[in-house]
Amino acid sequence: MFYLTRMLGRPVVDAAGEVIGEISDVAIATGEVFPRVTSLAFLGPTKTPFMLSWRKYVSTIDDEQVVLNAERPDLRFSYLQPDEVLLARDLLNKQIVDTQGMKVVRVNDLKVSESRGQLRLLGAEVGVRGILRGLHPSIERVAAAATRLLGRELPENLIAWNYMDLLDRDLSHVRLSVTHKRLHELHPADVADVLEQLTPTQRARVFEHLDNAQAALTVAELEDEFQADVIDDLGSQRASDILEMMDPDDAADIIGDLPYDKAEALLHLMGVQEASAVRSLLGYKEKTAGGIMTPEVTTVTDDMTVQQVIDYLRTGAAEHESIYYIYVVEGDRLEGVISLRDLVISEPSTPVADLVDRDVITVGPDDDQEDVAETMSKYDLLALPVVDETGKLVGIVTVDDALEVMEEESAEDLALATGSAREYGPLASMGWWLVRRSAWVAIWALTVSGYVTLASWARGVAARTFDFLIPVPPLGHLSIAGLELVAYAIVLLPVVLRATEEVSSRSLAELIGGVDADERPGVMRVLLRESLLGSGLGLATGLLAFGYAALVRGGTEGPVPLALGLATAAAVLVAVLASAGLGEAAWRRSAAGKRVSGTGLPIVAMLIGTVLYLAFTYWAGILSLPVG
Amino acid sequence: MPFLALLAVIGPGVIAASAGNDAGGISTYSVAGARYGYTMLWMMLAITPSFIIVQEMAGRMGAATGKGFAALIRERFGLRPTFYAMLMLFASTAATTVAEFAGIAAAMELFGVSRFVSVPIAAIVVWLLVVRGSYRSIEKVLLGLSSVFIAYVIAAFLARPDWGEVGRSFITPHVIPDRAFIALSIGIAGTTIAPWMQFLLQSNIVDKGTTMKEWALARWDVMVGAAAANVIACFIIITTAAVLHPAGISVESASDAAQALAPLAGPYAEMLFAIGLLSASVLAAAVLPLTASYAVCEAFGWESGLDRSWSEAPLFNGLYTFVILASAAVILLPGLNLIAIMLVSQVINGVLLPFLLIFMMIIINDHRIMGRHVNNRVNNVLSWSTIAVVIALTAALTGMTVLGIG
Repeated sequence: MFYLTRMLGRPVVDAAGEVIGEISDVAIATGEVFPRVTSLAFLGPTKTPFMLSWRKYVSTIDDEQVVLNAERPDLRFSYLQPDEVLLARDLLNKQIVDTQGMKVVRVNDLKVSESRGQLRLLGAEVGVRGILRGLHPSIERVAAAATRLLGRELPENLIAWNYMDLLDRDLSHVRLSVTHKRLHELHPADVADVLEQLTPTQRARVFEHLDNAQAALTVAELEDEFQADVIDDLGSQRASDILEMMDPDDAADIIGDLPYDKAEALLHLMGVQEASAVRSLLGYKEKTAGGIMTPEVTTVTDDMTVQQVIDYLRTGAAEHESIYYIYVVEGDRLEGVISLRDLVISEPSTPVADLVDRDVITVGPDDDQEDVAETMSKYDLLALPVVDETGKLVGIVTVDDALEVMEEESAEDLALATGSAREYGPLASMGWWLVRRSAWVAIWALTVSGYVTLASWARGVAARTFDFLIPVPPLGHLSIAGLELVAYAIVLLPVVLRATEEVSSRSLAELIGGVDADERPGVMRVLLRESLLGSGLGLATGLLAFGYAALVRGGTEGPVPLALGLATAAAVLVAVLASAGLGEAAWRRSAAGKRVSGTGLPIVAMLIGTVLYLAFTYWAGILSLPVG
Repeated sequence: MPFLALLAVIGPGVIAASAGNDAGGISTYSVAGARYGYTMLWMMLAITPSFIIVQEMAGRMGAATGKGFAALIRERFGLRPTFYAMLMLFASTAATTVAEFAGIAAAMELFGVSRFVSVPIAAIVVWLLVVRGSYRSIEKVLLGLSSVFIAYVIAAFLARPDWGEVGRSFITPHVIPDRAFIALSIGIAGTTIAPWMQFLLQSNIVDKGTTMKEWALARWDVMVGAAAANVIACFIIITTAAVLHPAGISVESASDAAQALAPLAGPYAEMLFAIGLLSASVLAAAVLPLTASYAVCEAFGWESGLDRSWSEAPLFNGLYTFVILASAAVILLPGLNLIAIMLVSQVINGVLLPFLLIFMMIIINDHRIMGRHVNNRVNNVLSWSTIAVVIALTAALTGMTVLGIG
């Protein structure tokens, strides 16, 4: 087993035992899953680069050196072949796409192994382990030992050659194995995920490899904020070709986000039919039925037979986004609907008039998109016709757009409720992350005490070093007293947080459990219950704080342990009451039919608890210690 | 038409450069003027071309490669040098973020709010601004508010300085051989050409998808922004030199620094100064940790982006959260002189600057990376001299401190 970073720079020794240079790179044949090393590149004296065939000249390789089987004058140098990839030049330290994990990663090292006299590339190291080894092998060993002590294994994150796609070097002219998965061969939704992790320049390069149909599907899968940028960066001709292939509603969304000049230019380049479909949609407001519908509707008249309709579907409507429902119209007016299922199971000669359901569920073009999505989900529809006030059928909303709306809206609602801009954003996930860790109380205490020690040391050093610049004033006795207590309080903070979290999550459970209004105790009962609980919790945590301060100061003497205990008890009591009040408010909100976030409540309660606790202890510190 | 086209590309450069006149910048320039009068003006004249050129190089690297500075360092130098570069960037950003929170604390104290109240609140506000990505929407507002520092230009004229002497000071190099002067010179270099600014500018250019073709125009934005930022810096020195220096006020608090605006704003000088300082500091305190976080993740290939959750991008989210919270915590240490904190952070920036510039110089002269857009000779001579001078200053300061001279 060899790592490329450890091979580079090793001496190359010829058969006579003479050092003729040092390894600078190795090349691999690209057509295999575990590619063979085919060439050795090395720098001779005066830094001249040379290349040798591995198979012909390399006799042995070990941790110290590479030994050749010929003497220097007998070596015949070769050139880099177009289908060879150089590990150090093309892979090491470069960004690659992991086409299995659908991620953009950076290569920290490359692992090669020797089997039956041949050196093969096992894969690219992209994990932390490779970084640690690159810094120093002993750091890797220490980290591995430390994680083993915790019962874990420091994972080695290897990506095999056939799951790599290179971003800086174009592999299209290189022979690859059939199992080799390149980025543009992935599902458009996955390609879109990867594209969002790239810079505009890299994105443009990936787009060169996608044909127009793939590009259209990929662009449609991108998040809204990337779509217009990507189209804007493509050449006008290519952009219009791609937009033409997209569903008109998706295309209209993107064009609506472009600057006016660019939008007009693209519309002119598009086919007449596609452009007019897009233009008809641009007039509707965003976030309404009109804004998300497609004008491509499959319509028939009720004098047709089933066979005629099926023929029409095969010819005239094959391109339409959705053909699960066929709408029956008279002129422009929507008269009824037939499902594809009715059509398929009926005799070919049956007239459409016999199948049509005239009781159609419709929406207006200005209806809110959320209502549209709710209607579709309520009636289990795959498409919903949009009809204007004159009864004219202007388009349909398809199920994929409705799903997207629901996703968007739920994210927005959550954001409103938690004050976070996205679903499971850092705010929410960090809250849970903190709560989940059971060891965090200890870690917290250690970190804080370490920080305080380090910081006061750094302050001393800085004061001594920079006193010539600006003199640093000495500390006042009063602030020392107050801050000593605050430092204790910060160490004990997790205890208060646990208490508030406990109370608010109970309110939350009531919320989620959907307790009926009449089963719930009244406000006064709740307050009484919580103040009892708060007093109990406060007493317990106060005692704990008293004990802690006594332990740190080596005795219960003096006002500090008492002050800390009292401040802690008071903070817990008030925080518990406040969280109960918050829970009550949240319950009323939800009873009034408004959405309430599940993560916002505990976090707000914890914030209140923190602020109260720090303020109380600071005051207690100042009050308990007279100036002197 | 060219003028309109120029307006269209105004953005990254002007923003990055104005963000440079932050808490650290204002205090360094104020102290320079108050302590040494017009003496240090020649340094501003000498450093402006270097600043413009360094900003131009950062932008050019972004436009030519489509990659960030951290990515280029990693691909050109490999893992270990990248680690050191990122450590330096991290130290530079962390020190400057501490200065920003010192700026927030100082500004709020002018409004009569204790730092033990304002800093924790500011830390939470700044963190939320970053997490929600909403700093982008209030970026313009904060930039607008911090542009009250243009007031220094007017204040300078109202203070009726001896313009002849000002002019002479710009062209007569004068060095006072004591530690404070040398430390302040390093601070001026560090605050004018802050290392983090190059990372920020380059990543803005890359994110905008600016290509070499568009660069021909965009470079003007970058260079004009850099020049404009330094003109304001010069006026800060002139104003403080004209108002504070003769009165013997050496800036030891934000209130002292604010007095420089008295000729213009009279009793409202403190308020004007506080508003500018607060908005500049909040903006920079949001931008800086994010810049460092993006750069470090880019260098090591960790997932990054504000739309990634904690479980998807733990290191990215953890880094900026750590920088914000730890920097705020530093300010909460009792008995700190806020102006001293701001000054020291800029000295740290200055000490680190030459080393990151060396990385930049090697990359921008590498034909394999930059193609035909490598540096010309003027750029090389100017940048290498900047590097040499700042390293020499650092060596002098270290030597004097160790030997106890000055």
